[in-house]
Amino acid sequence: MKSVEAMNTFVQDTGGWVASQLEACTRCGMCAEACHFYQASGVPEYAPVWKMELLRRAYEQKFTLIGKVKVALGVDKAVSDQDLEEWSKYLYYACTVCNKCSMVCPMGIDIGSLIAEVRAGMAAAGVVPDDLMAAVNKQVEEGSPLGVTDDVFESRMEWVADEWEEDLPMDKKGADTLVVFSSIEIMKFPTNIAAIAKILNKAGENWTLSSKAREIVNFGFYEGSHEHTKMFLERVFDGAKELGVKKIVVTECGHAYDAIRWHAHNMMDVPDMEITHIVGLIGEYVDSGRIKLKAGALDNGKTYTFHDACKIQRKGGHINEPRQVMKILAPKSFKEMSPNREEAICCGGGGGVIAIKDADALRYQTFELKVAQVNQVGADTVVMSCSNCRLQYTDCVEHFNLDWKVAGLSQLVADSIMD
Amino acid sequence: MNWTEILAFTRGPLFQVALVIFVAGMLYRLVRVLMLGWQKDKVPAKGSKAVGVVKSFLKGLLIFPFIPWVKRTFTKNPVIYLAGGLFHLSLFVVLILGAAHMLVWKSLLGFGWWTLPLPIVDWMAAVGIVAMVALFINRLFNPVLKLLTGPAEWLNLAFVFLPMVSGYMLTHHLFFRYEVMFSIHMLTVDFLLIWIPLSRISHFMFYFFSRAIHGQEFGKRAVNP
Amino acid sequence: MAEDSIYERLKQQGVTRRDFLKLCGAVAGAIGLSGLPPVQASGLPVTLARSGYKARDQVARVLETKSRLPVIWLEFQDCAGCTEALSRSHSPTLVNLVLNAITVEYHETLSAAAGFQAEGAKHNAMEKYAGQYVLVVEGSIPMALDGAYCTIGGRSALDILKESAAGAAAIIATGNCAAFGGLPKAKPNPTDAKGVWEIVTDKPVVNIPGCPAIPEVFTAVVAHFLVFGALPELDSLNRPKTFYGKTIHDRCLRRPFYEAGKFALSYDDEGAKEGWCLYKLGCKGPTTYNACASLKWDGGLSFPIQAGHPCLGCSEPGFWDGGGFYQGQSAPLSRPDLTVVGAAAAAGAVAGVAVGAANQAQKKAAKKAEKAK
Repeated sequence: MKSVEAMNTFVQDTGGWVASQLEACTRCGMCAEACHFYQASGVPEYAPVWKMELLRRAYEQKFTLIGKVKVALGVDKAVSDQDLEEWSKYLYYACTVCNKCSMVCPMGIDIGSLIAEVRAGMAAAGVVPDDLMAAVNKQVEEGSPLGVTDDVFESRMEWVADEWEEDLPMDKKGADTLVVFSSIEIMKFPTNIAAIAKILNKAGENWTLSSKAREIVNFGFYEGSHEHTKMFLERVFDGAKELGVKKIVVTECGHAYDAIRWHAHNMMDVPDMEITHIVGLIGEYVDSGRIKLKAGALDNGKTYTFHDACKIQRKGGHINEPRQVMKILAPKSFKEMSPNREEAICCGGGGGVIAIKDADALRYQTFELKVAQVNQVGADTVVMSCSNCRLQYTDCVEHFNLDWKVAGLSQLVADSIMD
Repeated sequence: MNWTEILAFTRGPLFQVALVIFVAGMLYRLVRVLMLGWQKDKVPAKGSKAVGVVKSFLKGLLIFPFIPWVKRTFTKNPVIYLAGGLFHLSLFVVLILGAAHMLVWKSLLGFGWWTLPLPIVDWMAAVGIVAMVALFINRLFNPVLKLLTGPAEWLNLAFVFLPMVSGYMLTHHLFFRYEVMFSIHMLTVDFLLIWIPLSRISHFMFYFFSRAIHGQEFGKRAVNP
Repeated sequence: MAEDSIYERLKQQGVTRRDFLKLCGAVAGAIGLSGLPPVQASGLPVTLARSGYKARDQVARVLETKSRLPVIWLEFQDCAGCTEALSRSHSPTLVNLVLNAITVEYHETLSAAAGFQAEGAKHNAMEKYAGQYVLVVEGSIPMALDGAYCTIGGRSALDILKESAAGAAAIIATGNCAAFGGLPKAKPNPTDAKGVWEIVTDKPVVNIPGCPAIPEVFTAVVAHFLVFGALPELDSLNRPKTFYGKTIHDRCLRRPFYEAGKFALSYDDEGAKEGWCLYKLGCKGPTTYNACASLKWDGGLSFPIQAGHPCLGCSEPGFWDGGGFYQGQSAPLSRPDLTVVGAAAAAGAVAGVAVGAANQAQKKAAKKAEKAK
């Protein structure tokens, strides 16, 4: 029985933290107003509160007398396998776990985290969409959902080092900083790797790559499986421990940063080292003068705007650094979208949604919100610090036949760095 | 049994029973939630959790009402937002700053406070009732709320609406004699007190949990909640 | 027999026709006649009732033709306060008129006779005016111990009441005690005191509650009975609607301060000196139906709220048990017992702990089940 597995997970994971928030929910439905999937499609089942409905039912039925009475009276039904199948669609097709809903919830409920918890139940029950599950299994077996095996990793890195003439230290003992790229960057945005390498080298950072910790992407985190999330985190930490680094830098990858920076410590033993994001590091470098950027380098008559990624900005905390950089590079031509910063609208491709073929139509529909936002600013180039967002943007720019450019922040920084 | 006796019953024994059930029920729910256990947050913080919590409550109480208009979040359905806010403001004004209710608190707590002139309280009560009707209509037609609404939600609305309307009729001497409306008002209040621990109206207690959690989560990431 | 009419008697006392008509106007006003009453109640020929008769003229016509009304006044568990209020009333015109219009056949406090003589007079009157006299009752009736708590001439109040009520045309229960039990009925009510209308159910009973009853109200009811031969229109508590139709609060001279939210918070503060509303000092005006605020006392001089004291609600049933006199009216009747609340809180907490423990066990079992796999 799938539902037994799911319920078992819900029961284990529901502590006071989850319960008090479920109790606080008044079912006012305001969260729907924040959800880009609901706003774009108008499907009421995509309301965040409805996505966590299974968790609420599980909580009431398992832990409260009223819930038991409700089931006995037939007012509520036990969570069934069909329910899980149905909710699987809402949770994986129509949610990027971006947590914007939490910003508008009058009770301040951390809805994103609760939805992630429902995903944990889904993962335990095995009702994760096939496309996503295939990627997870690939990461379990090969170490990467995009097929970045040891050989591929090595050859790609060598190629990047040759192509852009950047030094990419590999498995360097005694390095201070371990940089872990995402497979999206390795396979689709290799320029990002070169750019980040350039920034680190210019800053004189004693850094290294690890052949063991070669992949920051964590599809277990998308899936919601605690087991897989821990397994993939473990690989990164093992590599870091082996090299004895003091710091782990996550590159332009959103959910991976969320997992390793904001969840790992509560799931497992984490070696005592600093974990930060490349955007945070760039901010530090600029602040301390370790790298100097050409002021106004991008003031070329084109308009730039910055897309806040849910897991690097809203859930990651790196809201100011990109703006600090953009204000140096494009003091005149940088314009903010509205809403932005922690209130930003999600790209619509995160949380594993972009990996699910069946969700494509909805994903494109949702991106229309972004199109309107960017067009309002009249931006020619949308800058972002998350490869997942960037993947979504490039895909949608092609789909909608838009004439914007999509750029990674590190790339712009690297291009404008002064010798 | 005449209305004076009914009033004495609803103001006296029934109110006490309702209050006792309310206290016991709320404490039961609080303890039950607390007993589920709290995992220590081991994540190294980037910003201050305390600052986040303070900001979270300030936003919830003061700034929140202005955010949607600035950030254009509720452009599609402002009613739900506006009515919800006004309803709670009305509750606060009427229940805390209305002279009649202050005297209830005074009799229970032993101390009283300054109250607003009746016309202001009266207008706020009317605003609350109108807001409640707006929320009711919204619940009938909003697709998300249709999905979320079951018997419990309708009962919640009814249990909250009745004391508001009866209280308004009472102060305005509408349709019925004063002590009749007073009795009905007290009766509905007593039912509400008993209903609260059984329903989601108890959210006012867990509000302090959820807002604090929200503040911690955003505060530790150095993001404005 | 041919007793003199009321007008004849007044004439003998030197009352002029002009003064008499003035008095009739006063009576008409007191019983709230603004025009002609319903035809049937007036007892007048239909043709007359339809004509342009003034209310005053109608009263005059009655007083000119009817003889004095026999009254038997009983006192049980009382303080004679209602009698005092009536006999010392400062509205001489009206009260004198009515006292002249009735003949009090029996009254313990006022009659010169005592003992068997007085009781004998009462019996004579009851026989003579059987079916015609008005019975006035002052004070509550104790029911406990077969009425042993109040006896007169060896007979219980209950007995006397039942006997006297049998031949009465109507019964007036004056004061809160006779109407609703009053002070004797206050908790714990050791004598099991009751109001008249709880005992006598086969006769029309009009309640004129108050502590004491307002003399003008009493006289107006008598005048009404005199004029129409029937009791005035009553509310659900058998009180005359004319006088008990509005609350003290509705007619209160301090009402504007209530609306403006200006309250006296103690008896010697600025608000009290300014004459602000006494609501927060426990005024029961909003639930008290009586005519104090409009008729006032001592010939329209003042009434408690005007004098700076909150209304006690003395015309309402159970007013002694209606919460503290100086406690806000909207407040619950009594403060919940802290031990009861504490016990309830403890019970809730214990239930929470019990269910919480079961939930913890459930969580452990769930963990075990997963590990077993």
